[in-house]
Amino acid sequence: MFARLVGESFVRNPRRKILTAAALVVGMAVATATLTIALDAGDRLAREFRSLGANLLVRPQSDTLPVEIGGVDYRPVDEGAYLQDADLGKLKMIFWRHNILGFTPFLDVPAILDVSEPPVATTVIGTWYEHDVPVPDGTHFRTGLKATHPSWKVTGKWFADDAKECVVGADLAAAHPDAIQVGKPIEIGSSIVSQVRTPLLVTGIVSTGGAEDQSVLVPLSVAQELSNHPGQFRQLFLSALTKPADALSIRDPQSLTPTEYDRWFCSPYISSISYQIGQAIPGVDVHAIRRVADTEGRILSRISTLLWIVTLAALGAAALAVAATSATTVLERRAEVGVMKALGARNMIVGGIFLAEQLLLAVVGGAAGYLLGILLARALGQSVFGVPGSPRMILFPVVLGLAALVAILGSLFPLHRAAHFEPAAILRGE
Amino acid sequence: MFGRLLLQLLRGSRGRLAVALIAIVSGAAVISALLNLDLDVGSKLTQEFRTLGANVVIAPSQSQGSSPAKTNVAASLSAPGLMDENLVLQQMKSVKTAQVVAAPYLYVIARADKTPVVVAGTWVDETQRLSPTWKIEGNRVESRDDQAHALVGRNVARELHLAPSSEIALDYLGRTAKLTVAGIVDSGGAEDNQVFVNLVVAQQLSNLDRQIGLVQMNVGGGSKNVADVAAKLAAALPDYDVHPIRQVAAAEGALLARLRLLIFSMVALILVLTSLCVLATMAALAIERREDVGLMKALGGSISRVVGLFLAEVGVLGAVGGTIGSIVGMVLTRWMGHRVFEATISMRWEIIPLTIALMIAVALAGASPLRMLGNVKPAVIFRGE
Repeated sequence: MFARLVGESFVRNPRRKILTAAALVVGMAVATATLTIALDAGDRLAREFRSLGANLLVRPQSDTLPVEIGGVDYRPVDEGAYLQDADLGKLKMIFWRHNILGFTPFLDVPAILDVSEPPVATTVIGTWYEHDVPVPDGTHFRTGLKATHPSWKVTGKWFADDAKECVVGADLAAAHPDAIQVGKPIEIGSSIVSQVRTPLLVTGIVSTGGAEDQSVLVPLSVAQELSNHPGQFRQLFLSALTKPADALSIRDPQSLTPTEYDRWFCSPYISSISYQIGQAIPGVDVHAIRRVADTEGRILSRISTLLWIVTLAALGAAALAVAATSATTVLERRAEVGVMKALGARNMIVGGIFLAEQLLLAVVGGAAGYLLGILLARALGQSVFGVPGSPRMILFPVVLGLAALVAILGSLFPLHRAAHFEPAAILRGE
Repeated sequence: MFGRLLLQLLRGSRGRLAVALIAIVSGAAVISALLNLDLDVGSKLTQEFRTLGANVVIAPSQSQGSSPAKTNVAASLSAPGLMDENLVLQQMKSVKTAQVVAAPYLYVIARADKTPVVVAGTWVDETQRLSPTWKIEGNRVESRDDQAHALVGRNVARELHLAPSSEIALDYLGRTAKLTVAGIVDSGGAEDNQVFVNLVVAQQLSNLDRQIGLVQMNVGGGSKNVADVAAKLAAALPDYDVHPIRQVAAAEGALLARLRLLIFSMVALILVLTSLCVLATMAALAIERREDVGLMKALGGSISRVVGLFLAEVGVLGAVGGTIGSIVGMVLTRWMGHRVFEATISMRWEIIPLTIALMIAVALAGASPLRMLGNVKPAVIFRGE
C-alpha cells in the first residue's frame, strides 16, 4: 500500500517533481564537479610548479667542497667524488617512483674552445636533454633537461644525446659571432697543453639567465670522454611531485613511532622521497633545494585551503537550492495532505510517504547529477588545467548521500508545518 | 498605492521570502568575497613567489671582451667582468622602493686551510630578505659593516669542521682575513658550498676596492613591475647587462591564470545555484498567490500592473539581499585573507554595487515563474480549480 502510494505519485503527476528533480540534478552536478576539481587541483597545481625546475639535489656524500659559482663547478676533473649514471634507473624503483617526474645528471668540465687565438677557456656542461634510462624492471624512462629545466630556451634545436653535438650559451656565442654559428662545428679540448680536439656540431644557442649562458652544453657522454670519467657525473637535479611540509614531515624519521613512520614513508613528503633516494643509491647526499621546495610547499598549501573554502561555498549553495525546492514541493501539495488526513491518515504516514518520495527523487536526481557533474568536471578541468578532470567513483556515494540528506532536511520543516494543517481548511481552499 | 501594495506583499509572505533572501544573501556574500579575492590574488601570489629569490640580475656586459667563463669571478684579477660599485648603487637608488630588495656580490675563490672555497662578498644582513628560505643555525650577521663575522654554508662547515663561533681564516694570494663564524646556512643549493662575508671584506681580500661582480635583485609587484624596473635600470646602466630571470615570472603567470579561471568558474556556478534557489521560492510563491492575482484581476487590475508589482517585490529582495550579502562578504574576505594568506586582502568598494546589480539580475531571472500569473483566469481560480 505504502509503496503503491509512492509509486502512483510519481506515475500520475510527474510534472510536480520536475522542479525538485532539476534542482537536485543541477546542485549535485555542481557538487560533483567542484569536488572532482578540488581533489585534482593539488596534484595539477603541483605539476604547474615543476616548471620552476628541480626541487631536489643529489651529490656524492664523500665529495670535496665544490668550487661553484652561479651553478657551474670550477673544480679540476681529478678532484672530488663522482656518481655512476648506471645507478640512475634505480630511482624509478622506489616507492614514490611515479612522483619522480624527471632527473638530469650534470658533469662540469673545464675546457678550452678553439674559437679565437689564444683559445677561450670555458666550462663544458655534460648533461641529457632527452635520454632513455634503463630501469631495472626492464622498461625505459625518458628524462633530461626537458623535464627538469623546462624554462631553458634554445634557438635552433637541442643536441641529440648520442651524437657529437653541442648547444652554446648565448653570451659565449655573442662574444664570438664569427666562430660560433648554428650548423657549424667547433673544436673543444680538455686543456691548453693537450693537442686532442673534439669537433662538435653546434645545433643551437641556449639562454638560461644563469652561468650556462657562458658555457657549452654537450651530451653527458661527450663530457665524460673529455674528462676521462666514463659513466660518471657530479650532481643530479631531480624534479619530484611532493606534498607540502607539515608537522610530521619536518620530524627526524628516527624519532617516529612505527605507525608514524609508515605514514611518513607512505606520504610523498620531500623528506621521505629524499630518504628513499638515499636508500636506493648508497653513498649520496640528497638535499631539498629549499628556495624552490619551501616556496612551492607554502603556496600549494595556501591555494588548497582557498580551494576548499570555495568548494564548500559551492556545496552550500547547492544544498540551499535543493532544500528550497524540496520545501516548495511539499507546500505545493497541501491539498493532497488535506485529502490524506481527511481519509484518516496519521501524520506519521503522511510524513513517511513524502519523505520516501523525496528520498527516491534524491537517489535518481543525485545519480543523474553525478553523471552530469562528470561532464562538467571534464569541461572545467580542460579549461582550467588543460587536462580533463578524471571521474572519481568515491564521489558517487558521497554525492548520493549529500542529495538524500539535503532533500530530507529541506522537507522536514514544511512537513512539520503540514502536520498542523486542518484538513477542512485546506480542502475549503483557504 | 503601488508602494503600499508592495509593502503588504512583502509582509504577507515573510517565510517564503526569507528563504529567497537567505539564498541571495549567501550567494552575494560568497560572490563578493570571491571577486575581491580575485582582484587581490595576483599581488598576494607575487608576495609568496618572492621567496624564490632574485628575479633581476645586473652583471657586467659580455661585449667587454672578457674571458667568458671567468666573469663575476675576481680570480681572473685582470678586472674584466667587474662593475663599479658606486655607479651601480647610485643608479639602483632611483628604483629603490619598498618592493625592491637588492644586494651586490663579489665572488673570490680563496683558500681556507688549503681548501679552495668560494667566498661571496655581499651585504650579509640583506640575505635574510633576499633568501628568506635559508635555514640558519646560529646567529645572523646583523650589519653590513661587520667585518668580523661570516655565514658559512652547510657543506663548508662539514668539510672544515666549523661550528657557530669557531674561527675561519681566508687566504687569497697572501692577503688574509680572519673571521668568526656567526651561523651555518642550509639552502639546499650552491650556497651550501660558499662562505658569506660582507662586501668590504671580500674587496679587501681580493684588493678590488669598490668593485662588484654581480647584483641580485628581488623586485615585487608582479611581472610587469619587474620588467619596468629592469628596463629602467638597463637604460641607466648602458654598459652593464640587466636581465630579469623569466623562469619565476613564467611559473607565476601560469599559476595565476589557472587560479583566476578557477575562481571565475566557481562564481558562475554559484550564480546559477542562487538563481535556482530564487526560482524554487518564486515558483512556490506564484502558486500561493494565484488567488490574490485572481482577486486583483477580478477587481480590474491589468496583467502588466500585477506582474510589475511582483517583479518590483523581487527587485527589492535582490537589492536588500545584495546589500546585506556584500557586507557579509567583506567580513568573509577579511577572514579568508587571514586564513589563507595570513595578510589583509584589500577591499574594493566597486565590488558592492557590482554584487548588488548581479543579485537583482539573478532575482529577476529567478522570478520567471511569476509570469505564469499572467495567464491566471479569475473565474477558474475562484471556482477552486
